[in-house]
Amino acid sequence: MKQELPFKENSTLTMGTELELQLINLQTFNLAMEAGDFLRRLSTLRCPGQVKPEITQSMIEINSSIHTSYPSLLNEMQTIRQVLAKEADRTHIGICGGGAHPFQKWKAQRIFQTERFNNISEQYGYLAKQFTVFGQHIHIACKNGDDALYLCHALAQYIPHFIALSASSPFSQGVDTAFDCSRLAIISAFPLSGTPPWLLKWSDFEDYYNRMLALDIISSIKDFYWDIRPKPEFGTVELRICDTPLTVETAVQLAAFAQLLVHWLLETRPTLSHDVYLAYYINRFRASRYGLHASLIDPLHNKQINLADDILHVCEQLDTYTHLYHSKAALEKIHATASSRNNGASQLRTYYAKLQTLPDTVRLQTELWENE
Amino acid sequence: MDFLPHFPLRLDSMALFGLTLLLGLIGGEFAKRTRFLPIISGYIAIGFLVGPGGFNIVTNSVLNTAHIFVEISLSIILFELGRHLDFRWLERDKGLLGMAAAESAFTFISVFSLIYFMVGLPKLHALLAGTIAIATSPAVVMMIAYDLSSEGPVTRRTLILTSINNLFALILFTFLLPFIQHETPSLLIKLTQAAYQLSGSFILGTFMFLIAELIAYFIGKHKENQFILFVGLVMLTTNLSQLFNLSTMLSLFTLGIAARNFDKNHVLLEIDLSWLTRLFLIILFVITGVHLQLYGLLPFMSAILLFILIRSLAKTAGIFLFAKTSNLTLQQILAISLALTPMAGVAIGMSNLLVAFNPDFGHRLLLIITGVVAILNIIGPVATQFAFVKTNEALAEDSIK
Repeated sequence: MKQELPFKENSTLTMGTELELQLINLQTFNLAMEAGDFLRRLSTLRCPGQVKPEITQSMIEINSSIHTSYPSLLNEMQTIRQVLAKEADRTHIGICGGGAHPFQKWKAQRIFQTERFNNISEQYGYLAKQFTVFGQHIHIACKNGDDALYLCHALAQYIPHFIALSASSPFSQGVDTAFDCSRLAIISAFPLSGTPPWLLKWSDFEDYYNRMLALDIISSIKDFYWDIRPKPEFGTVELRICDTPLTVETAVQLAAFAQLLVHWLLETRPTLSHDVYLAYYINRFRASRYGLHASLIDPLHNKQINLADDILHVCEQLDTYTHLYHSKAALEKIHATASSRNNGASQLRTYYAKLQTLPDTVRLQTELWENE
Repeated sequence: MDFLPHFPLRLDSMALFGLTLLLGLIGGEFAKRTRFLPIISGYIAIGFLVGPGGFNIVTNSVLNTAHIFVEISLSIILFELGRHLDFRWLERDKGLLGMAAAESAFTFISVFSLIYFMVGLPKLHALLAGTIAIATSPAVVMMIAYDLSSEGPVTRRTLILTSINNLFALILFTFLLPFIQHETPSLLIKLTQAAYQLSGSFILGTFMFLIAELIAYFIGKHKENQFILFVGLVMLTTNLSQLFNLSTMLSLFTLGIAARNFDKNHVLLEIDLSWLTRLFLIILFVITGVHLQLYGLLPFMSAILLFILIRSLAKTAGIFLFAKTSNLTLQQILAISLALTPMAGVAIGMSNLLVAFNPDFGHRLLLIITGVVAILNIIGPVATQFAFVKTNEALAEDSIK
């Protein structure tokens, strides 16, 4: 029997964000298995948004509520950070951003005991523990399901932009990976990762969804680990490609950038072309590997483009909309990051060059997240 | 026929070290297979079996040659214990320091009262018994946490509370020592000795930390180099404190505390000494088993059992009192209280001092302390392991989950 997948309709272009965060042991600066106790402590405090468990015991996820403007999202995320940092300090653990912990061993991680996470662990074996990586998800509200599907494909060519701007996982399992974003390699191991199918009508997507359910490939829409996916119950398109940046300020700037980009795409409605997927994975790889120094392939115009320059070009296009969302400051920060080619990954490499050890790098990463 | 070995064959200390390791290994494996006994219970059981209480294969004279290994293991443990005392945590969570002070004070007062008022031993003996009772065995707690890869809020708090209660016990013991050692000299001399030993140990530990900082600046942040730095420093501190007639334990503890809290420029690395400690601790626990004496305890059994009971209750009450300030759950309170059960084996050494001073009363206290240590050596590790396992902080073996 066909299952309905109603898409919640939204009239305004609101945004929200989710950040997966690292819990840190302040003696060893390795990951700390404290999520259960920390969430219990937080549950008694007044904190906006939501704080949730994630797949392993050293991760938590914070969710903002729905916002129209950049300053209100920024304000809420800073409040959440303040509450979390204060309680973490009291129980003597650290919290930090970054897409991957630089030297944790995946084998040492422990699954957070919920039915859903146990099922993932059962289904994916060791991949579940390797999933101890930390991403930012950005939700932008859509009028309807068709718009959400349009945006899933229209945003595809901007995926490298978000990867490079948020990249902050240069170290993994104790080594410099040479990537700016090493996290995506972990995500790619999952069979339901990648891109959504080329479907542009919500009714077609419902059929596809039901077919996947009937084939027992998925049990809910959450099982799609795509880089972008529609989120019908929220009525949003969800960008899932970003590393968790080193600060909440950067995370909110990225959300504001996505909001402006979506506004521009919906207003100008560039024609979609499936050709964008000819270079999708190579561009995704290059952005992960080289960050803001990457050059991309533009399959629509048969040319190579410099990623940082293209971000600057996009910023100029979006500038005219900033007054609608009070996000001029956010766009300026994104512009500055692209101009300086200085993302989270280069910041972490600078720390490491100065401090010589990965635990010291994590110490600074923790101080940066809590005190920015 | 000079080339043939000369009989009777005598095992030297290296062979003894190897043999103890192997026997301990086998005992540990037996314990592990029971699925509820900690590995160290296996080491202790093996020690008991080969010692005078069992088949009497290993005699006390043979044990003396292994003394150096025990000393190294204890030195490293004390340094490690000092490194668990993080001032920043105490500053942010006022309940934690309150908890440590309360559980130590309640334990001291209740055990003192038991020995002084109920058993009827002299005041000094009761003070010593109270002091001894404060300290949780760092070796047992650290070894079980390591063996089980136990991590989480209960494990972290057990370790820092063990660290603080050992510090209190060490300070009190160093203060009491001149009163135990000298029968008649003036109070001034006794106080001067206590002041010398306390301040001298703190100064030596701090001085060795400054040496560590200087060397660390020179050798850089390389794990291999800093591993040698720490082991070398620990051994040197041990010997220097003996030369200056200071408290070895307090000096090493201070070195650990300084390394954790005063390394402002972060030149010292977080070196994991646990695998080295483990090697020596197997010897320590086997020898603990050898020393395990159950003979002659019967007349004191009620005092021994009361000692254990009120010690556990006092620790639980101390933790309970500040649990709300520290935002602990009932399960966490009970688990931490249980995990603090093991009592430091050095207690026997401490009470031995009394026997030399006053054989009659000293012997009675020694028997009580020996009995308490014997029983806590059997149930303590099981209690600590139970606490870590029940709070899901221990890692299930070879589990992908």
